[in-house]
Formats: sequence, structure tokens, C-alpha cells
Amino acid sequence: MSNQITIKVNGKSYTREVEGRTLLASFLREDLSLTGTHIGCDTSGCGACTVLLDGKAVKSCTILAVQADGATVKTIEGMAENGNLHPLQASFKEKHGLQCGFCTPGMIMVASDFLASNPKPNEQEIRESLEGNFCRCTGYHNIVLAIKDAADTMSA
Amino acid sequence: MKLEGIHTLKAERRVIWVMIMDPDLLVKITPGISELVKKDEFSYEAISEVKIGPVKGRFKGELSLTELNEPESFNLKISQNSKIGNVDAKIHIQLNDLGNEQTEIIFDGDAQMSGVIARTGQRVVSGVANSLTKQFFDALDKEIEFMKGVDG
Amino acid sequence: MSYIGKSVKRIEDKRLVTGKGKYTDDIKIPGLTHAYILRSPYASANILGIDTSAAKSAEGVISVFVGTDIEGIRGVPTGWQVNFKNGDTMKEPAHPLLVTDAVRHVGDAVALVIAETKEQARDAADLIDVDYEVLEAAVDPAEAIKDGAPLVHEDAPNNICFDWELGNPVSEVDAALAKAHHITSLDFINQRLVPNAIEPRSAIGHYEEHNDHYTLYTSTQNPHLTRLLLCAFVLGIPEHKVRVVSFDVGGGFGSKIFHYTEEALVIWASRKINRPIKWTAERSESFLTDAHGRDHVTSAKMGFDKAGKMVALKVDTIANLGAYLSTFAPAVPTWLHGTLLQGLYTTPKIHIDLKAVFTHTNAVDAYRGAGRPEATYLLERLVDLAALEMNMDPAELRRINFIPAFNGVTEPGYQTQVALQYDSGNYHGVLDRALEKVGYKDFRKAQQESLAKGKLLGIGFSTYIEACGIAPSAVVGALGARAGLFESAQVRVQPTGKVSVYTGSHSHGQGHETTFVQVVADKLGIPMEDVDLVHGDSDAVAFGMGTYGSRSLAVGGSAIVKSVEKILEKGAKIAAHKLEASVDDLDYANGKWTVKGTDKSIAFGDVSLTAYVPHDYPQGLEPGLDFASFYDPTNFTYPFGAHIAIVEIDKETGKVTLQRFVAVDDVGNVINPMIVEGQIHGGVAQGIGQAMLEGAVYDESGQLINGSYMDYAMPRADDFPSFEVERTVTPCPHNPLGVKGAGEAGTIGSTPAVVNAVIDALWKAGFKVKDIKMPLTPERVWTAMNN
Repeated sequence: MSNQITIKVNGKSYTREVEGRTLLASFLREDLSLTGTHIGCDTSGCGACTVLLDGKAVKSCTILAVQADGATVKTIEGMAENGNLHPLQASFKEKHGLQCGFCTPGMIMVASDFLASNPKPNEQEIRESLEGNFCRCTGYHNIVLAIKDAADTMSA
Repeated sequence: MKLEGIHTLKAERRVIWVMIMDPDLLVKITPGISELVKKDEFSYEAISEVKIGPVKGRFKGELSLTELNEPESFNLKISQNSKIGNVDAKIHIQLNDLGNEQTEIIFDGDAQMSGVIARTGQRVVSGVANSLTKQFFDALDKEIEFMKGVDG
Repeated sequence: MSYIGKSVKRIEDKRLVTGKGKYTDDIKIPGLTHAYILRSPYASANILGIDTSAAKSAEGVISVFVGTDIEGIRGVPTGWQVNFKNGDTMKEPAHPLLVTDAVRHVGDAVALVIAETKEQARDAADLIDVDYEVLEAAVDPAEAIKDGAPLVHEDAPNNICFDWELGNPVSEVDAALAKAHHITSLDFINQRLVPNAIEPRSAIGHYEEHNDHYTLYTSTQNPHLTRLLLCAFVLGIPEHKVRVVSFDVGGGFGSKIFHYTEEALVIWASRKINRPIKWTAERSESFLTDAHGRDHVTSAKMGFDKAGKMVALKVDTIANLGAYLSTFAPAVPTWLHGTLLQGLYTTPKIHIDLKAVFTHTNAVDAYRGAGRPEATYLLERLVDLAALEMNMDPAELRRINFIPAFNGVTEPGYQTQVALQYDSGNYHGVLDRALEKVGYKDFRKAQQESLAKGKLLGIGFSTYIEACGIAPSAVVGALGARAGLFESAQVRVQPTGKVSVYTGSHSHGQGHETTFVQVVADKLGIPMEDVDLVHGDSDAVAFGMGTYGSRSLAVGGSAIVKSVEKILEKGAKIAAHKLEASVDDLDYANGKWTVKGTDKSIAFGDVSLTAYVPHDYPQGLEPGLDFASFYDPTNFTYPFGAHIAIVEIDKETGKVTLQRFVAVDDVGNVINPMIVEGQIHGGVAQGIGQAMLEGAVYDESGQLINGSYMDYAMPRADDFPSFEVERTVTPCPHNPLGVKGAGEAGTIGSTPAVVNAVIDALWKAGFKVKDIKMPLTPERVWTAMNN
């Protein structure tokens, strides 16, 4: 059974036929070839697939593509503008907030939502905001520093 | 996983025995069971739907009674298969006549799970089993009340 | 241009922070099909029959294969042989690509379904009917060796793969223990861990009929070894017809070193169906099939004389290998574990006795640290516990037993009782620095004061050594390795002076593309922008042994340095010719050769161009500027460090809060401090994860009951404080960069520090508990206080 949906992703509108069971994560990766959104688990635990859905961070593996019909989605590919890295992207690089890079898109997307609601967070608040996202490489240490650094840049 | 417990029912032992040997009643009072088809005298094909923590499945399989010692005891063997895993349980059920229209049911057994239900959510399974057992006996209590009402 | 020692920002980050990384599952190939593997839900069962007819006719299905379809292929091999004490060869049962008659662990592969989409393959797998005769399973390794336990393999009696010993004669160790003033003994479990790289394993097999070539895209730490094993040992395909490519790899921690059955399956099946096939693990499959780590049951005794000097150590370990031998499984509990039991101490008598055991569980192999965390945990728990029992200061007890400092150049290396010769070390140095950083004296005062207020504070130490930079081929060969452990490198200077570097190491997060380029640009005196690193492609890189065992820079980096030296040597000949001087009269600095004492010079780029346009050229010299090298280390490298944890225990709930974690590590010279610190952070987090949160739990029937991210306690950001990380530098004396390796240090050191801190807190509060089983859940800690 297929359904026609229209989703605006990173500023561009896409109309596609999808199966009812297709997850937003798979839709982004398979149908739109936006492979920056990663899939790290099957229980919505790891957060690697986090995207912004109408401005809010969601795990795109918990949302069906059909549920996102008519919505606006931003993925990691849409964060840099005019060739300039988003402050979070720049800070992750500057503070060595990534190693293998697999969790990084999810981390950056969840942090962008978090900083929108809490532009000047303390360390504990940053750590709590990452509850739903796993990183196995960094021990989170430099991810926390990167988000703090981006917050400073963005609120400066 | 260990399955064990005691429940006291307000009816004579022989009445309880007849009730729990009745497949139609069992379908009615057992949570999750949607179909129980008699295969032979002491075995049934069962279809059930159960939600265990985060996983939900439609199970199909067999339910059989062995070592029947009417009206005192029997063994219940359940083997259920589903896409999310399989459950095999062996439970000894003992009915003790307490007199005064009261019967004590003691059950004691083991359930083994495999597949997704074993590795996702097994930590909540015993909680689910306890709550299903409670629902079963609550429903059985109600049936007994209802029967008494009809009789009275 | 000076780059070595600078925290240069990573080159690879640009693609990784913008979502442009290329992980295996991101790859799309025209005509790609998708595979799903039906796995056993039982730990042990005979297969009485498999009915695939419904699956074969399901929508979108291209093929369904079962074990009997793969004739003549024994399965994936193991790369290390350890013999029984009596000289018999270890038991080495086949690990088939798909099982035929029996399954031996939950997750064992039963059928391969290939369809147009992943969903169709999965749907079809649900239609396969397997008739299992379920059998009793051997799960607990200590139970599995008892008579009458269910057998995993018929030809391995008592489920023993091999037994093994190392060290001084057991009689000498017993005699020393008999004379000891104090013996500290501890029985404990080093629990099984799931590596949990966040990128699930993925493999694409692509057979192309037109040139009879195969390409395997795979998420691996070890592309060349994978090709070698796949070709020579599994499928019998000529090696030159196979290309193994691994682009970005999303973490590995050991679990992606090994050659897995799925890699061979997609290659084999791709030829059968003549189309490319992609398989990507679901997380549940990763839990069930990525090789696990640790899983030792140990009983250990450490003897001390009156002054607190260690006199002997005796260890008995049962190591769980799981159902099949993974690639390096036999080496982990033996040569990577027993050999580390000297620790940093001068213990004169040491003996380990070990049994390696099959169980109906997933395979166990190297996981970050691999054997060395187990050895460190054993030693460091014993030392802290001995200090409590003897009422000595744990730092002081270590100090009096430390091997004195030695540089390995003018002073010899330290010969241990357990086969290794340490390269260089200054163990007092790291401990003193860590004590200073943590404010040890003040802490002890604060601990006493807080106890009066009902607060339970504890401090735990761990001073560790590891053997990494793996490894001298001749040595490991003598110990049973079936591969060499050298590394290869090629440095190709292009005519324009731009440089391509090819390494057999393969980054899966370590930042090779930055660190290795730093080394080359620094040595050549050219900008980093002029150097690129190529890795992870067997067609591009001559050969390689991959990235693990903290070996990339120490072994792979040394191979690169060798090639750079050859470039400079040949370049000097060309420069001398052009400058009309002798080679001995030239200096090389800042990217140019200069005639000593003059301003006559020629730039690197001009020499490169001359090498490729050799019109005016030294007679008899070959054109070109391109050198390959192989580097085989002469010894392991031996990083060391001191880790200190401070914890607070909530008396009411047993919850442990890690307040501080101080790590002072010595990994030799450092090329990029930022990257080294990142490695330490991540390693420390994984070690703390083992102490406080993680552990694979199998029930008695062999079901992995916490095989998901809802059930397995992965460490999260708010489980940790900020780490306090520092370094001392004791260069490695035997490799050209003086580096020792930093990938595993954090994990090896950190676990016992945390557990020791909890035990310390409990003892100081009057609960004389010797051990709490890891992970230290609130329930276990509470029980320890309330028993």
C-alpha cells in the first residue's frame, strides 16, 4: 500500500510515493539519498537519526514518513548555509567533539533544538539534553565543550 | 522465568476444576487469548495477543494438560510461537480444598522465552506475567460471583 | 612547517559534521539487492528441517539460501592458535557461514534471504519455517567445564578449547605464597561487554561478471586481513580478484577487526545471483553477533612480605570464548592478558593458569584493551584491597612495589616474569602527578569529615601498563599468530610536489587523516594541505594489518616515516645534482635543500618535478619519487598511567555518583595532543561504563536478555563528570616517532579505579566488602551495605 506525501526537506519540497510503514529515517536515506541522517538502532535509543521536524528535534526512526506529510524537515545536510558551517558544526570540529562521526549529525541536530530553548546552558544542562543520544567514542567530554562553545558563539 | 503464586477462590474445588477445564470459559477469562480450539481431550490450539513492555505479538501454539489428577492437580504445558519470539512454559497446578466453599490454587512453573521478547523487555516480563495472572484470577472470581448469582 | 605536537583540527571533520561521511550503508550501487539473515532464536538446538518454499515465492524475493546450499565451505577461520599445555592443538570447530545441522547460540545464522528491498527480505524471512529440536545450553563458563554439561561441540570434551599457563613454575609461586606475611585473595567476574559501535556492521558484496572481479564494501578496522581471510581461507577466490573497501567506519572498539560470516556471505551470494547485495545489521543483530568482550571468571591471590613488598601472584582464570572462535579470540585471554600480570610491580613470582571455554553464547574476542583491561582489573583490585586489609596507604603500597624508572636507551628494558620486556617507563611519575592533581591529602581529610556527616566518599586508584603497538611478527608468530603484524606505507610524491600517503592502518574514528598527514608534512617541511592520506582500500594500499591494539601510529606511522626517509634520501641526491654539491653538504629544512653555509637552495617541489622530468638528472638514478616501506616493530610499546576516581555513594539507595576522574597517562611522544586526549576521554568512558553500567546478561537457557538499547545500559552524557586528563612523556625507545599508542589506555586503566573507589568508600564507612560484582548498580551496592 503506498501513499503520496510531500515533505519540505532543507528548503526543498519533495513529493514521493511511500509505503505506510516507511520510517522518516529510511525515507530521508533511501528515497532522498540524504545519508547524513544515520540509523544506529531499532528501538529509538541511540539518537543518531535525530532531525528537526517543524523546528523540533525528533528521532526520525520514531516517525513514519506519512506522519511527516506536509511538514518541514531539516537534516544535517541543511545546517551549513552558503558554504559556512553552522556554529555547532564549527564548534564540534574546533573542540574535537567527534571521532568516528556516526553520532555527530544526531548530536548537532539535538543540540540545535536545545540551544534554541536554552541559549546559555550550563554543563549539567547540556549533559541532560544529550540523554537520548549515544556516543561511544568521545566519552561526551568534548561534545559538551563543543555545545558550550557553540552556545557562546551563537549568543555573542 | 519462574511462575508461581497462590490464589484463593470462593467455590468448591470440584466447581473450580470444571470451570478451568472449559475452553469457552478460559477464552473468556484469560487475558490475551482470542481463540482456543480443542485438538483432542486434553490439548488445544491457542491464539493469543500479548503486549510485553515494548513488544507486542500475536502468538500461536499449543496448550495441553497432562498428568490430570481430578480434581486435585494437573500440569499445564504451553508452547507459543510468534514473529517476536517463542514462549515455552510448564506449570504445575494444585487445587487444595479449604472447605467452606473455598479452594486454594497453587501454581508453580517455569517459562522460557526466546527471540525478541527474550532480549527486549525480558526484565519486565515477570511484571507482565504477574499482572496477567491477577487479571485471570480477577476474571475467574467474577465468573464465580456471577454463577452464584445465577444459582442463588 | 612544524606540525608534530600541535593540536591541529581534524581534516576528516569537514565531511563528518556536514553529513557527507560515507559509511558502508550509505553506499548505493545500481541493481543493489538487500539481504536479511534469519537467525536462531535458540542457544542450542538441532535443526530437523527448514522449509523456505513460502519465502522463495514471496514478493520481491530473489533467492533464499540455507547452509546446505553452501557446499564445501567450512566457514570463517581463526587467526591465532594456542595449544594445550600438553602440546595438543586447540579445538578449532568450524564456524559455518550458515548452519546446517545445529545452532550453537542465539543469533546463529540459519538462512540468507535476498530481495529487492530490505523490507521484502525481512518479510520473507518471517515465512521460513525452521523445525528446531531445542536442547539444553551451556551458558555459564564455570559450569560448562563440569562433567555432564551440555556440549557446544562434540569434539571439545568439557567444552574446553584449550588450557594454558604462563610465568614461573607453580611450585615456586606456591612456595612464595606459603612464606608470605599477608595474602589478599579475590574471586571475581570480569563481565561480558557488548562493544556497541554506534554504526552497525554493514557489508556489500558486488561480483562483476565482465572482469570476474569482486568488491566487498565493509565496515571494518582491517580491510586487507579481511581480504586475505576471505580469499585464502573461506571462499578460495584468487586474492587479486577481490577489492575490499572501507570508507568511513562508525566506531569499532575491536568489534570490527574480525572477518565476519556476513562479509563472506554477501560476496558468495553476489556471484550466485550476479547482482550486488547489501546487508546491514539491525541493532538487535549487533547485540547478538558483534564479537563481545571480556567474560572472565577469576580467582587470584597476591602475597606480600611484612613491609608490603609483593612476593607472589597466582591466578586461575576461566575465559569464555562463546560458541565459535572469532578471529583473534584465542590470543585475548592468553598473550594479551597473562603477559600483563607483572603490572608496574616487581613481583618476583607470577603464575597464571587458564582454561578457555566454549559456551552456547555469542563469540568473545578483542574489545577495547582486549585482555589488558582484565589483567589490570585483577592486579589493581588486588592492590587496593591489600592496602585496605593491611591498613596501608594504597598509593604508598604501589610506590614501594613499582619498577624504578628506566628509559630503555641508556638503561635496559625491564624483563618481566611473564614473557614481556617493557620498553621504558616512569611509573612513580604518573602516580605522583595524579596524586597532586587530585589533591590526595586534602581528599583524605574531606573523606573523614564527610563520613561524620553521613556521606560516603571513596577514592580508588589504578596504575596500569599495557602492551600495544601490536606487534613484532616473529614474536607473535612464535606465540601462535597466523599473521604478521607489521604495517605497510607508501609515500608518493607527485610531480608537483603534492604528496599522497597510503597506509595499511585504517581509521575508524582515530583521525589518521590528520595525524599521519601531520607527520608527513612535518618531516617534509611542506604544508599539510599538500598531503593527503589514503586508507581503507585494498586496491589503493599495497597491504595492511589494520587499526587495533593501539598500533596505528607506532607501527603504521613508523612505516610512513621509513618511506619519508627514503624520499628525502633520494630527493637529496637529486637536489645535490641540481645544486652541484655533494649530498653531505646539504641541509634539509622547511621544504628545501640548502648547501650548508650558502643561500643556494632548491625547493621540495622542484626536486619532485625533476624526479618526474629527469632531463638534468643524476646518472644511474631511477626517475620518480615514490617509496613503499614495511615496518615490523622490534617490541611492543608500553604505555602506562595512573587513574584516580572519586565517588560518592548514596547510603539510602546505593547509587554511586562519580564525582571526579583524574587520568595521568604516558603514551610516549604525542603527535596531536587534542586527538590523544579525545582517545583517553573515550577510553575512560568505556572503562567507567564497565564498572558502573554495562554487562551482557544471558539467562540460563542462553537468551541474551538485554540485547537492545532499552535494556543494555549504555553510558550517557550525564553519567560522567568532566574528565581531568594529563600526560607525562616517556618516549618509546624503539620506534622512530617515540610513540606508544593511546587508543586503549583509558579503558585499561579506568575500570578498577572506579570499583576501588566504591570499595574504599564502603570500608571507610565500616562495610568491609571485598568485592561487588560489576556493574555496580545501586541494588548491588545497597545490598553490600545491608547484608
